[in-house]
Amino acid sequence: MAFETPQQVSDREMIVKVARGETAAFRALYDRLSGPLYSLALKMLNDAGEAEDALQDVFVQIWSRAKTYDPDQSSVFTWTVLLTRSRVVDRLRARERRLRVVTAEEQGRKVGDASTAASAADIVDKNEEVVRVRSKLNELPSEQREAIELAFFTDLSHHEIAARIGQPLGTVKARIRRGLLKLRERLTT
Amino acid sequence: MIPEEQQDQAGLYALGLLEPDQTAAFELALSGNAELRALLRELREATGELALTVPAQTPPESLRRRVLSEIALRAQEPTPMAQERSSRVWVPWAIAAALLVFCGLLAIDRVRLQQKLTEVRAEDPLMQTVFFTLAPSEAGPAGAKATVAWLPGLQTGVIRITNLPAPASGRDYQLWAVDAVHKDPISAGVVRVDKNGVAQIRFKTVEMAQNVKAFAVSVEREGGVPKKEGPIVLVGTA
Repeated sequence: MAFETPQQVSDREMIVKVARGETAAFRALYDRLSGPLYSLALKMLNDAGEAEDALQDVFVQIWSRAKTYDPDQSSVFTWTVLLTRSRVVDRLRARERRLRVVTAEEQGRKVGDASTAASAADIVDKNEEVVRVRSKLNELPSEQREAIELAFFTDLSHHEIAARIGQPLGTVKARIRRGLLKLRERLTT
Repeated sequence: MIPEEQQDQAGLYALGLLEPDQTAAFELALSGNAELRALLRELREATGELALTVPAQTPPESLRRRVLSEIALRAQEPTPMAQERSSRVWVPWAIAAALLVFCGLLAIDRVRLQQKLTEVRAEDPLMQTVFFTLAPSEAGPAGAKATVAWLPGLQTGVIRITNLPAPASGRDYQLWAVDAVHKDPISAGVVRVDKNGVAQIRFKTVEMAQNVKAFAVSVEREGGVPKKEGPIVLVGTA
């Protein structure tokens, strides 16, 4: 198993209890994860009602699939983020509507805003980890950041991303991979 | 050292962007490559961190109640809220109990039908046949395709390949079964195509396959290898 932070250890202990059917642990896990997962669902769906429904689906999945969680594959937080993204993408595809939040230019501006030291979001968050991750993301070359944000926050396929930003598929794949690895490296050092 | 192309695939896999056939091929590669699994974990963690870049929003308290109520029902234990309710709430519980009985009857009926189906299948092994359609991987020749008819009960199958050019000298194509309970793909033997790129061969896996998820054809050293080494050229699920 990879190195774990105290928070990751605590999350893993909680998910083990959830897998045993302990509702108190589930409540604790909900309180810990619902904020970031709801924020993600809301950003991607741009609809509070749908984001709530998606999150309900996600937490029911967490309850029913906790036994299948594999710490060798990801941290609990990442596992739940990927579950959430998957449910949200299903919903986006079902309603056949492309995400309105992200266009390359808009996203650049939004991220630019978020990177400002005194951005409104940072003030509201008062969360060092969130600010740190945002800051590291903003340090990535803009073309890598653009590629991974389009890949993560929308339901576009990699072919559609390549068409959107007007670059060959191979370039897009490499930007996604390099961007993710660079982000990971900067977050762990 | 992981080839760059495979690293790129890992990035797309972490984001759920690979096509189903590409996913099957990547998972096959993943099963026997610890370095690739470690890279994928790093990429996944980076992906998870992206969620933290979103402006924080607080979910409504009503959602918390909804979720916890549903989980309490699933856990078959009363929620604290339920304990506070008056005794008049027995009506929905009675309906739920009736539904539960009805579902139980349906489940019994389903089990009976499944038993009957199992009996029929046991009598006729052909009833167990599962078909897999194999398409070229990114490294595979366009136009090549294969179909596998797999009989799990007999641990045997037939593969028919078309449009697959002969491998380079000193190389052979080898068939693999990707089984859910085996860490590594199980060899199903060497497959040789004729000059027209066609093969139709009956095969048997070298080990007992309990739950085959996919079949794949790779290019290996002449005569085949016990553990997959070469690139996948054809892969597909049922």
